[in-house]
Amino acid sequence: MNHGQTQPATVKERSHIALNNEFLRKAVKFTTERLRNGKKKASEEHGNWEEWRERGKQIRLHTIAHLDYYLNQFVENARANGVHVHFAADGKEAVELSMKIAASKQAKSVVKSKSMVSEELHINHALEEMGIEAVETDLGEYIIQLAGETPSHIIIPAIHKNRYQIAELLSKEAGETLPADTSILAGFVRRKLREKFLEAEIGMTGCNFAIAETGSMVLFENEGNARMVSTVPKTQITLMGMERIIPTFADLEVMATLLPRSATGQKLTVYMSAITGPKRTVDGDGPEEMHIIIVDNGRSLQLGDPEFQELLNCIRCGACLNACPVYRHIGGHAYGGTYSGPIGAVLTPALQSNVAEWDDIANASSLCGACYEACPVKIPLHDMLVYLRNRKVEKGYGQTAEKIGMKGFAAIMSNSKRMRSVVKLGQIGQKLVVRQGLIKTKIGPLKGWNSVRYLPSLPNESFRERWDSLVQEVKNENSPMSEDIRTRMEQALKQRENGGRSHG
Amino acid sequence: MKVSLFITCLSDAIYPRVGEAMVRLLARYGVQVEFPKQQTCCGQPAFNSGYWDEARESARTLLAAFDDSDFVISPSGSCTGMIQHYYPKLFEKDPVMLEKSKRLQAKTYEFTQFLVQVLGVTDVGAVFPHKVTYHPSCHGSRLLGIKDEPMTLMQNVKGMELIPLPFAEDCCGFGGTFAVKMSEISAAMVSEKAQHVLETEAEVLVGLDMGCMMNISGNLMYQGKPVRVMHLAELLYEGVKLA
Amino acid sequence: MAEQELTLLEQLEKESRAKQAKFIGGIAAKLGRQEIAKKPVHPFRGAPDFWTQLEWSQEERIERFMDNWQSVGGHAFHFATMEEAKQFIAERALELEAKHIIRQNQPELNELGLEEALPEVDIQVWNHNPAENWKAHAAGADIGLVVVDHAIAYTGTITVLSSQDKGRSVSLLPTVMMAIIPVERLKTRMGEVMTHFDGARREDLPAGIHFITGPSRSSDIENDLTIGVHGPGIVYALIVG
Repeated sequence: MNHGQTQPATVKERSHIALNNEFLRKAVKFTTERLRNGKKKASEEHGNWEEWRERGKQIRLHTIAHLDYYLNQFVENARANGVHVHFAADGKEAVELSMKIAASKQAKSVVKSKSMVSEELHINHALEEMGIEAVETDLGEYIIQLAGETPSHIIIPAIHKNRYQIAELLSKEAGETLPADTSILAGFVRRKLREKFLEAEIGMTGCNFAIAETGSMVLFENEGNARMVSTVPKTQITLMGMERIIPTFADLEVMATLLPRSATGQKLTVYMSAITGPKRTVDGDGPEEMHIIIVDNGRSLQLGDPEFQELLNCIRCGACLNACPVYRHIGGHAYGGTYSGPIGAVLTPALQSNVAEWDDIANASSLCGACYEACPVKIPLHDMLVYLRNRKVEKGYGQTAEKIGMKGFAAIMSNSKRMRSVVKLGQIGQKLVVRQGLIKTKIGPLKGWNSVRYLPSLPNESFRERWDSLVQEVKNENSPMSEDIRTRMEQALKQRENGGRSHG
Repeated sequence: MKVSLFITCLSDAIYPRVGEAMVRLLARYGVQVEFPKQQTCCGQPAFNSGYWDEARESARTLLAAFDDSDFVISPSGSCTGMIQHYYPKLFEKDPVMLEKSKRLQAKTYEFTQFLVQVLGVTDVGAVFPHKVTYHPSCHGSRLLGIKDEPMTLMQNVKGMELIPLPFAEDCCGFGGTFAVKMSEISAAMVSEKAQHVLETEAEVLVGLDMGCMMNISGNLMYQGKPVRVMHLAELLYEGVKLA
Repeated sequence: MAEQELTLLEQLEKESRAKQAKFIGGIAAKLGRQEIAKKPVHPFRGAPDFWTQLEWSQEERIERFMDNWQSVGGHAFHFATMEEAKQFIAERALELEAKHIIRQNQPELNELGLEEALPEVDIQVWNHNPAENWKAHAAGADIGLVVVDHAIAYTGTITVLSSQDKGRSVSLLPTVMMAIIPVERLKTRMGEVMTHFDGARREDLPAGIHFITGPSRSSDIENDLTIGVHGPGIVYALIVG
């Protein structure tokens, strides 16, 4: 989705475009498989993965349940470290704060490391309007910035670009033709961005975690660009989602165990940096001035909402994207928001609190639960998708045809006799369309289904019609129940009375 | 002890042979299955689409139908999952129905769960001399954790070659109303799933959820591929007759 | 600092403090509290209990660290003495035709005598003269040499802390990084390192704590692994002792 180009309004239309882009589908499949297998291998090798997930979940649940305390503690400690802490209720405020700081530094250039929050704010655009160059320095982010696009994956932003497209983009920047060779392309970016790091007055980062007890902010990365951004320029501005808090360094060990393994299958990212305030007076490097802008931008809407508070537990690893069979086929841009995949399908409408506009991406899920299974902090995204759909209906935004359909469903299914008559009607009515036991017609609601499938016809007798004769036939076949089975069944009943059966 | 069959609307109307196989198979262990006729549908199509009032109307028929049952067994992990995971949510504001939901939740089992966990049956004595591949449906395996039960039952079928399905855990793209609402995405998913089934060169695809089976077999038939698609209960019962 | 900058900072500071009560009070309200929560009991602090029991022998720590460091593309060696490590560094520096080396101003390195072993090479000692541009020195160096503060065998990670004498740039800007790991600083788990930071007074923490696990890398172009994108692409871990 290029700037200035309007993207289609619905996920259906956007996914149609994606589904017809063979390269994109192949690239997304390849990458998500690689990451998914990496995660599987890393979590198996580490062992006790369920215990670690549970621990990660508990730490996040606890922190968010006491976010007022921990965030306040973080703020006080960060200030004591010499950080200028700011609060932004929404994206606009965060951008304004950043601009004020940039203007006072008379900055001409800002180097940025990967930050999903900054994507939420569209801050590059704002900086450019002020005449300040904003340079993304993560290799993938740099590539899509040159292409004028947005990331299509949390972890691998340029998942949708091939090396030829990348060579073309970088050649334009280099002023010479670069071959489509990964190491040459990366080498060019290294040299080019080295200059940018050294020139820039301001380094802008995101924040993976913020440690309440020490006021430290933590960055995970593989390239070293986040270290550059937080070491070389004189001023550092960190954009931090208000929910990024964890209580202690000990808790960071748990996050550091879960995040890299879930994201890429690494035991740890190449760099994990905990930055505690600006450079000390005697230090030879590090930013002289450090700002942390704590951003709400819809996050607090989830607090106190029993169905969605757990969304704030997300550690942005992207594992749900890699596990998702829908993402696998349509890629990130089809979701239409900053965040894609299952987390995006829930987070985008939740943060913006405009269910009506964004509800359609909540429909782009078969509710298979792969996201929940992949999530290192066990966020029940598949349930949240249903809750979103429900809220849309409750607020009266349901589509008329669907509403009528569902009223019909309720009318039929609330009464078994009515259901039986409808099935009977179907058995008779289908005679018009059944050929060799199959329904192949592509009319009405069958259009989508039958474009790649046939529908089986209804047998002459439904189960409930068959039952009376079946029960007679089976009576003669019945074996006597063994003592063992009887005992087992009785035990199951007894266990249940004692509340003994656990579910799933 | 009263064991009741929750047939599910799909098996009732389209795949009655699945219910029949369950009933006949269980009869061999002396388990007499009953069929309360006021049951209709678990309500999942409406629930998943966000229409919870409509889902409740449907769910009430099950709560009434199985009120005095000791065990409720169903040929679908998905419909069982609906009862197990979402009925208490659906009726959270209605104490009477909530209590009923919790009771139904405690006594409802997916077919292989009942066979293996409750009855302790791991080998039904079936013979099935075919190449078979198994698609573990998402709701059964993820929501209910049904992973070992079907595997144990299948491994004990004599003469059967069980071929692992590549990307077995990936959703087939059915998802109830999803297949209609997001038909293009669903089509991409089912086409890939069918492709993986064909790669195994299996003669039979077996599963525990007829929704998924209808979806995959619909695509296989569309492609003109002669893969037989069955519920595990059917396979086991057919195997028992062969033995 | 210019006048206008100071005024802005003061103004922003005022605004921030004014807004804090509302911002955090709003969170408390959403969580159903009238006031900000008191310090809660944190029952799930850190790693699960079974994990904190894990402790490897020194031999195993060395082996596992080296395996891990190598598996991500780093070079790892084990030496009995600092003298052997020095020989190795000098040999590699000559092999790599290094012209500029930058090293931390650490006692172990001051005593190493690398300057004598490599008389032809320009070896800079980080920040020994604060007037110079040390970031530029580091950016121009072929090799950055550090002694690590901690190392973690389980993940193959070194930890370096910043100070007046220890630049963050030294492990970041040169093409090659060499890290000496005194064996007694090599721990089994990350948690053993974290206790140092949780145990320290906040004001004693350094500005930069960096965990480094191998050479800089990216897979952003068609999943093709590229080494040395921004940070050092060649990294040596030299365990001594």
